[in-house]
Amino acid sequence: LAEILNMCDSQLLSFVLNYVSPRLKKDPFKSLPNELCLRVLSFIDDPKTLARASQVSKQWHSLLSDDLTWKKLCEKHSYYRRLSGTTAMHAAAATANHDAFLYGSTTPRESSYSSNSFTSEISPQYRIDKVRRPKATSYKSHFKQRYMVETAWRTGGKIIAKHITPDQGVVTSLHLTPDYIVIALDNAKIHVFDADGQVLKTLTGHVMGVWAIVPWGNTLVSGGCDRDVRVWDMETGECKTVLRGHTSTVRCLKMSDKKTAISGSRDTTLRIWDIEKGVCKNVLVGHQASVRCLEIHGDLVVSGSYDTTARIWSIKDGTCLRTLSGHFSQIYAIAFDGEHIATGSLDTSVRVWKPHTGECVAVLQGHTSLVGQLQMRGDKLVTGGSDGSVRVWSIGGKVCMHRLAAHDNSVTSLQFDETRIVSGGSDGRVKVWDLKTGLLIRELSQPAEAVWRVAFEDEKAVILAMRGSRTIMEVFSFSPPPESLNEG
Amino acid sequence: MAVQIKLMSSDQAMLVVDKEVAERSVLIKNMLDDIGEVDEAIPIPNVNEAVLKKVIEWCEHHKGDSPSTNDEESDSRKRSTDIEEWDQKFMQVDQEMLFEIILAANYLDIKPLLDVGCKTVANMIKGKSPEEIRKTFNIQNDFTAEEEEQIRRENEWAEDR
Repeated sequence: LAEILNMCDSQLLSFVLNYVSPRLKKDPFKSLPNELCLRVLSFIDDPKTLARASQVSKQWHSLLSDDLTWKKLCEKHSYYRRLSGTTAMHAAAATANHDAFLYGSTTPRESSYSSNSFTSEISPQYRIDKVRRPKATSYKSHFKQRYMVETAWRTGGKIIAKHITPDQGVVTSLHLTPDYIVIALDNAKIHVFDADGQVLKTLTGHVMGVWAIVPWGNTLVSGGCDRDVRVWDMETGECKTVLRGHTSTVRCLKMSDKKTAISGSRDTTLRIWDIEKGVCKNVLVGHQASVRCLEIHGDLVVSGSYDTTARIWSIKDGTCLRTLSGHFSQIYAIAFDGEHIATGSLDTSVRVWKPHTGECVAVLQGHTSLVGQLQMRGDKLVTGGSDGSVRVWSIGGKVCMHRLAAHDNSVTSLQFDETRIVSGGSDGRVKVWDLKTGLLIRELSQPAEAVWRVAFEDEKAVILAMRGSRTIMEVFSFSPPPESLNEG
Repeated sequence: MAVQIKLMSSDQAMLVVDKEVAERSVLIKNMLDDIGEVDEAIPIPNVNEAVLKKVIEWCEHHKGDSPSTNDEESDSRKRSTDIEEWDQKFMQVDQEMLFEIILAANYLDIKPLLDVGCKTVANMIKGKSPEEIRKTFNIQNDFTAEEEEQIRRENEWAEDR
């Protein structure tokens, strides 16, 4: 045979090549058992390739419909969320104004991604958009949904609602819940929108700036400069109760269950309220200066104060269990997940404490100015401050993993989940960052004069900013168009 | 001197290898553990001589490797593109042989070799259009034009990033 080939000219050889080479090619998925075909596919982590491969032939198409491949892909892309109620609750211990997660996990109608059709390891992961969206019935369709959302976060997204208020109020708080977007302003107003950003109610009653709000289902508790704590029904817009007792501005508010609200005030005390009975159950006395921030986990409430200490209190007993001393200056931000307490201070450091011993386990240094924004989630802590930088820390490693040169001025707002960080600054920018790499993904919206607050959920981001000296609200949606989710 | 054992391929060829090398195969290792010392050749009925030689060549090269972890999710297994240089060269064979090696590695239970084989195939698929994949493996497009269009639309979502 070699001799014959030696006699061939190049034309003949290329004929031989064209004749022979297809015969040397074989469909791997015809040669290998399914189990091995799927193993091959498990090494492909690029959905584009998988999607294209499914268009090769009928056999490839049916192999590519196998959910195991897509399940693995979901895992590789970390396309699962809220593995259990408890982790979600931990995640809720966040910066003062961001607790969208909390509502994600405590509201019963939060659908838990048809877990019956899946093995439990991946379980409830994805908040299906209540009515509009068909439930993901396979890992493939789940992957597709997530992928489209992720793509929109990177390059797309659209503004589904935009409001320009005539008032020039400073936005002091922003909360997202499954049903509402709630904002509070320093002009005494509270505005309630539906989840898509349509105006529902304006809650009026406070006579001065509202500095803290906390939603719970249809209930909203608010407090501010007029020293009153008010309880509202967001559905009707009615003020149900006015709780009096604080002798100075109410600066922070949290709820530990549907009838218990805890407020912190410039009068140096915290008050525990039964909002159903409308009574003050306990006054927590001990701080020497204004109570600036507080966080709740289980029976414990931790408070950060301008007296430079943080205190741990029992809600049930109304007693102070521990005083955390170490900061040299006022505490502005606090996070607490049951395992750790993190405090951010004007002394530019962040401290991590053990709640049960009161021991300070880490002093995280790096910020060059006030640390006013802080969120903790699992082992990660993300902080932001008046130096304009955002830092990602490993709590266990006690190291700074990323330092993001986020804003030219103060970081005014900060939130992160397992994939991204969204930050807003007084430079008027909203930036989206990759949590793992610390790289900037994009800027969201047009630059404004200042960003007051940003908050986001899986498929939504809400920005409150000042533009043209007006307060504006923009609701971005990253949801795929419903028609795109109906098939495979 | 290393203990040697004999393997008999499906086409009745006798191959002599160091026990240590042969025991890269979990199947053979378990067999040897069960029956102890043997003079008889161990039959490998599913693998012919040419393929078995290739497999042994791989095991020879990798005999010093630390035992593979059973952790399916370990990082090295996740990342498909990284195949070490020697393995890449080793896998430069015709497709028939490649698939035979994969089948043999699966039968003989040599996980790292199986993974190298599967990765090699995965890399042949990666980044290609459906038509290019068909060309690569000489696959007939058995969709009708309508079916093809429908499947293309179904998968459009993955294209626009």
